[in-house]
Amino acid sequence: MADLLFCSHYPFTQQAKEYAAQHRLELSDSIVEKAEARLQDALASGRIKKAADLPSAQEEEIAIYAVARMVVSAANNRYLIRRYALAEAKRAGEYLSSDLSSHPEYVEAVAGELGLKFEKQQEGFLIPFAQYLLFTPRSVDYKLSNRELAAGKVRVGKQERIRILEEAVRKRIESSLPMKADFPQSISLAAARISALIPRLEAQAVRIGQENYPPCIRKLLEDLSLNINVPHTGRVVLAMYLVNAGLPDDKIVELFRPAPDFSEKTTRYQVEHIRKHKYRMPSCSTVDGYGLCVAECRCGNPMNYKESVHGRRLKELEKERKA
Amino acid sequence: MSMAVHQASKEEEFLRKLFSGFYTSCQLGVSKPQQREFGFGGWEKKIEFRHIGVKGEAELRARLVSDAPLYVSYSVAYYEFPAARPMVKKNWLGADLVFDLDAPAHSCGKFTCGQCLAQVKRETIQLVEEFLVPDFGFSQSEISVNFSGSRGYHVHVVSDAVEQLDREARREIADYITGTGLQFDKLFWEEGKKLFGPRPSQGGFGGKFARSFLARLEDGSFALSISRSLKDPAIRQKMRRAIEEGNWDPIGIANRKKKFQEKFSSMMLSLSGRIDSNVTADTSKLIRMPGSLHGGSGLLAKKVSMAGLEKFHPMEDAIAFSSGEAKVKMGEPVPRFSVKGEEFGPFEAGETRELPLAAAVYLLCKKAAVLE
Repeated sequence: MADLLFCSHYPFTQQAKEYAAQHRLELSDSIVEKAEARLQDALASGRIKKAADLPSAQEEEIAIYAVARMVVSAANNRYLIRRYALAEAKRAGEYLSSDLSSHPEYVEAVAGELGLKFEKQQEGFLIPFAQYLLFTPRSVDYKLSNRELAAGKVRVGKQERIRILEEAVRKRIESSLPMKADFPQSISLAAARISALIPRLEAQAVRIGQENYPPCIRKLLEDLSLNINVPHTGRVVLAMYLVNAGLPDDKIVELFRPAPDFSEKTTRYQVEHIRKHKYRMPSCSTVDGYGLCVAECRCGNPMNYKESVHGRRLKELEKERKA
Repeated sequence: MSMAVHQASKEEEFLRKLFSGFYTSCQLGVSKPQQREFGFGGWEKKIEFRHIGVKGEAELRARLVSDAPLYVSYSVAYYEFPAARPMVKKNWLGADLVFDLDAPAHSCGKFTCGQCLAQVKRETIQLVEEFLVPDFGFSQSEISVNFSGSRGYHVHVVSDAVEQLDREARREIADYITGTGLQFDKLFWEEGKKLFGPRPSQGGFGGKFARSFLARLEDGSFALSISRSLKDPAIRQKMRRAIEEGNWDPIGIANRKKKFQEKFSSMMLSLSGRIDSNVTADTSKLIRMPGSLHGGSGLLAKKVSMAGLEKFHPMEDAIAFSSGEAKVKMGEPVPRFSVKGEEFGPFEAGETRELPLAAAVYLLCKKAAVLE
C-alpha cells in the first residue's frame, strides 16, 4: 500500500513512480498548467513552493511532478535541467527537514532509495567517505581534513545529513533528464512557453582578456558557463579575482548568471561586499586548500599569473635569441 | 604508429635488446589491460608515444618485445576506447586511486642514496598503516604497493568504492593525507571557561593529534611547555583523563589556545603524509606500469607485499638482470653503490671496468657510463 503523503513529498522515488503508473494519473490541462507554474517558479526563483498536505492535493503533486519532467525533457535545455533539478532538490530538502520529526521513517526511506548508507550514532551519523565526497560541496565547511574519518566512514551532523540527501536528490534528478520520448502536443506547447523564459546566456558571454586568467579562474568560468553548480568558495574566489582584476560589478554579475541557483540580488550584494571591503585575492596555497587549484603554474597568487606567464615567455624568447 | 627517425646510440640499442629479452618471459599481471591506455618511452623522453591500446595481455607482451620501450606507463583510468583521441573520446569508465611517494630532494642527486630510499619506504608504510587502512578503511587486498623503479614507491588502490571519484574528490583525499586545509579552530572550541577538543578515540586528524599529544605528555619538557603545574604526576593524570573525554583544559592553562595551536601546527607535520597530490588527483594519469623496467635505472618497478616492504631494498630486490657482464667506461665520477650486496665504486670519470650486467645496466641507464 503506497503512502500517498510520502509520494507527494518525494515524487522522484520509485514508490511515487509506481503509484503514478498504477493510478494512470491524468494529463489534464489543469495539471499541465500547474506543472508549467512549477517550472516558472524554478526558473524565476530557483525554488518550488511546497503544496498544502491535503489529501486532494497529494495525488495531484505526483502528477504535476511527472508532467513537469516531460516538459523539461521536451524543452531539452541544459540550463533548465540543472536549475530545475536544483529547485526540486531544495523542495525535497525542505520536506526532509520537516519530516525529520514527524515522519523520520520517510527520511530513512529516501536515503535508502538513493543508496546512501547512513549509520545512526550517539552523535550524528556515519557515512562511507566516497559517498560523503560525492554529495558534499567542496567548501571549507566540508573539508575532509577537518573531519572525523575512521574505518572508511565520516561523521556528519543531522543537518549535514539532510544537505547530503538534498545533493543526492539533485544529482539523481539531473542525471535522469531529459527523458527520450514523443510527447503530446500539450507538453510540447508548454515546453515552448517555458523555453522562452530561459535567459539568453549566449548573448552575454563576456570575454575580456580571459587568455590571461590563471587556470583555476578559467576552470571556474568554464564550469559556470556549463551551468555547473560551482561551490560557494569557488564563487567567492572567482568574484575576488574579477573584482581585483578590475572588472565592473555589472560584468561580474553577468558571468554568474548561468549558475543554476543564480540570484541577481544575492550575487550583486556579494560582489559589492567584496569590493567595499577591499578583499585581497587569496594565495595559491589557500585556493589549493579550497580544492580549486587545477594546475601547477607556480605563480604564488592567481593575480600574478599574467606576469609570471609573460615573464616566462619573455625569458624563453631571450634564450632562443641567444641560441 | 610511425616511429620518429632517430639514430639510436650504442647504449640505447644495447639496453633495448636487453629489455626486449626481459619482456619475452617476465610476469606481467596487469589488471584489465584492454581498458587501459599505455605510454612508451625511450632514451630521451619517459613518454614518447601514448594513446596505445591493446586487446589483452598477449598483445601487450608482443608490443613490449617488439618496441622494447625503455619506460612503460599505463593509465590509472579505465576507458572504453583507450586508444581514442582526444581524451574525451576514450570514454572514461573509472580509475584506480594512486599515491606517488618520492624520495625527498637531497644532495645524493641521481644516485639516490640508501638513506633517502629508506625514508621514502617509511613514508609509504606510514601512508598505508596510518591512513589507507585505519582512516579510509581499505582492506589490504585492495592495496598494492610497487617500487617506482627509481626514487620512490607507488601505492595503487583498486576498489569499487573509489573507482568513480572525480578529480575534486581525489584531491580531497590527497589533502586529507597531507593535512592540507586542516584548521585548529574546526577541532577546538571554547565554551565559557572550557576548552573542548578532539578525543583520542575519535577518527581523523583530531584523534591522531590527541593520541600523539597524550603520548608526549609524559615527556617532561613537553608537559612543562604547556603548564608548570603539569610537573605534578597527579595533575598530569587529571589532564590525561579530561582529554580522553575531549576536555582539554581542566587545570586553567594560561594562553591555552595559543599553546595548543603551536603544538598542533608542529605535530601535524610529522602526523601527515608526504605524497604528490597532483598524481592522486589526476584521473587520467599515466604511471609506471608495475612489473616493468625503469629506463633511468634498469631496475624493476617491482610489486612488494606489505609484509615484505620493511625488508625490501631496491638495489637487492628489484634487480632484473642476474647473469652476464659488460665492460663500461665512466663518463663522470660515480659514487659507491651496491647491487645484490656487492659493492662497486667509487669510480672516476674515464675509468673502464668489467661489471656484472645489473651494475653496468644501472650506470648506462643513469647515463653515467658508455659501453666500451
